[in-house]
Amino acid sequence: MRRILSSIRDGHGFDILLVAFPLGFLFLMAGLPLIYNAVMSFQEVDMFSLGTFSRPFVGLKNYRDLFAQPETWPILYNTLVFVVGSIAGQFLIGFGLALFFWVNFPGASWLRGLFLVSWVMPGLVVGAVWNWILSGDFGVLNFLLRESGIISGNIFWRSDPQYSLYAVIIANIWLGTAFNMILLSVGLSAIPGDLYEAAELDGANAWQRFWTITLPMMRSSIGAIIALGLIFTLQQFDLFAAITSGGPNNSSNVTQYWAWELSFRQYDFAKGATISVIMIVFVMFASVVYVRSTRHEVRG
Amino acid sequence: MIAQIELTGVNKHYGNYHALKDIDLSIEKGSFTALVGPSGCGKSTLLRSLAGLESISTGTLKIAGDVMNKVPPRKRDVAMVFQSYALYPHMTVEENLTYSLRVRGMPKTEARKAAAEVARTTGLSHLLDRYPRELSGGQRQRVAMSRAIIRHPKAFLFDEPLSNLDAALRVHMRKEIRALHDRLGATSVYVTHDQIEAMTMADRVVVMRAGIIEQQGRPLDLYDKPANKFVAGFIGSPAMNFIPAQGGQDGRSVVLDLGQPQSVDVGYPVQPGRELTVGLRPEHITLAPPDKAMLKVPVAVVESTGAATYLTTATTPELAVVINGRGGTAAGETVGLDFEPAQLHLFDVKTERRI
Repeated sequence: MRRILSSIRDGHGFDILLVAFPLGFLFLMAGLPLIYNAVMSFQEVDMFSLGTFSRPFVGLKNYRDLFAQPETWPILYNTLVFVVGSIAGQFLIGFGLALFFWVNFPGASWLRGLFLVSWVMPGLVVGAVWNWILSGDFGVLNFLLRESGIISGNIFWRSDPQYSLYAVIIANIWLGTAFNMILLSVGLSAIPGDLYEAAELDGANAWQRFWTITLPMMRSSIGAIIALGLIFTLQQFDLFAAITSGGPNNSSNVTQYWAWELSFRQYDFAKGATISVIMIVFVMFASVVYVRSTRHEVRG
Repeated sequence: MIAQIELTGVNKHYGNYHALKDIDLSIEKGSFTALVGPSGCGKSTLLRSLAGLESISTGTLKIAGDVMNKVPPRKRDVAMVFQSYALYPHMTVEENLTYSLRVRGMPKTEARKAAAEVARTTGLSHLLDRYPRELSGGQRQRVAMSRAIIRHPKAFLFDEPLSNLDAALRVHMRKEIRALHDRLGATSVYVTHDQIEAMTMADRVVVMRAGIIEQQGRPLDLYDKPANKFVAGFIGSPAMNFIPAQGGQDGRSVVLDLGQPQSVDVGYPVQPGRELTVGLRPEHITLAPPDKAMLKVPVAVVESTGAATYLTTATTPELAVVINGRGGTAAGETVGLDFEPAQLHLFDVKTERRI
């Protein structure tokens, strides 16, 4: 006992304690649920076996069944469209805004802060607001598009299978743009100003400076924001619940919403877990990209 | 000689702050000009105005005969070496060197050939594939200079390029930069706050203070005939001694006030009774036997570097004296000091101008 105490005091044991505490926390709060979820995806789970851990092992049956279902591939495709569309929109608009505020006109940093409003709002509230904006009969978006002559008839954003997924993407872009902008602004301000002066004297015009200095110097920021964007869009749930509920007819359903629907609406916990495991693989991939891109920071 | 850079009546205002005041400066083609002065004197602003990184408020700036007031930096064809080097951290040394050629559309193979050639003259050949973060301070400095050289610009602008190096390397790079300048036949403008750098490297030194040019000329002319008290005190190390004095009654001598009056015959007319500041460089004072010396003063501090001895006298104002060798005096002793009257610099008390 005394040896342990003195080892904690002289440092080495203390290091182990420091490592053990967060590791224990992570294992309890994240590791166990993940493992439990993965195990469930290989078991047969129903309402009666829900309370026990020793359930019949069925191998890959849940996976086979899942991919035999007709809606699986369309929903995976929806997820892809949602992720790519949301990230592209958030990143491009966020980068544009970050470059805009980088000009540093009077009040720029103040205004930039105000953009965070979208980020502090709960997803369900954002969903409610966008429900009104996207409303087919009296929505402001339809009004604007109609009055500017882009469309002739009203678009029923939330109930038209052609548009329902895009309705959620639009709302999600609005939600995530501010976060992209703030992170990219930080990246931009970390680029030393004399690099631009040197490039200017070297004969580079504004366009060339952007492509040869700004973008390469932003590589780690961009990698990080896209990886985080992938994680955030894959966990975007509130907007689907608030705007389309995955409908109509799964036209706006995505894996994260579907997993919840299967588990907690249809009580098919095994399938819900199976989808979650598939998503975990993707998120892990994004995490690796994120960690690698923040590690490879280029700083003079 | 032809003027490569010519400034006439140049002013620069930042809001209410008047950074450059009526600057007239002509820099000859092929010359090495040092802009020197204390921090905040406007030397960096002046250099950045030449580069186009700052715009000038009024006046005319000509480079190689063309008015450049409104020309953007990338069209001025001048190269700058920054204090921070400003190397592109995401590019290799070779990419850093060829950047200016590539943005102008030179084919890659040609640019690489040019880089190899410059790297050979600056001793960077073995480092072309490295990134700036993998280089030492001196090597980064060389890359920064090579990046300027590769373009054959109309002028090289140096913004305190040596201040991030340690003392030994700084002395070495001083010679290297000057040798490079001579070999390229370039026109260089070099900003520094270190008057030794200015004196040793430049053909022409421009001393600035508070936005104005106090004096410009050849280094030794500035040392021998400083135009005013500021230049006299700025050029030379250790700094010149300043002694309050008056014109002597005989009309050809000054009376130094070092606690007790001491009359010195200067050999040229001085208005009797005129209030003066007399300057005398520490290295122009010699030790002499006290009974035969012009001044007899007690010594307060003795510092020896082995090669030279630095004395500080216990007078008001105190005098700094540099003597070669050991000197053989100690603090508290009284020594005799001698100097040539011709070595005295006379300045008016009010205008601080040289008389």
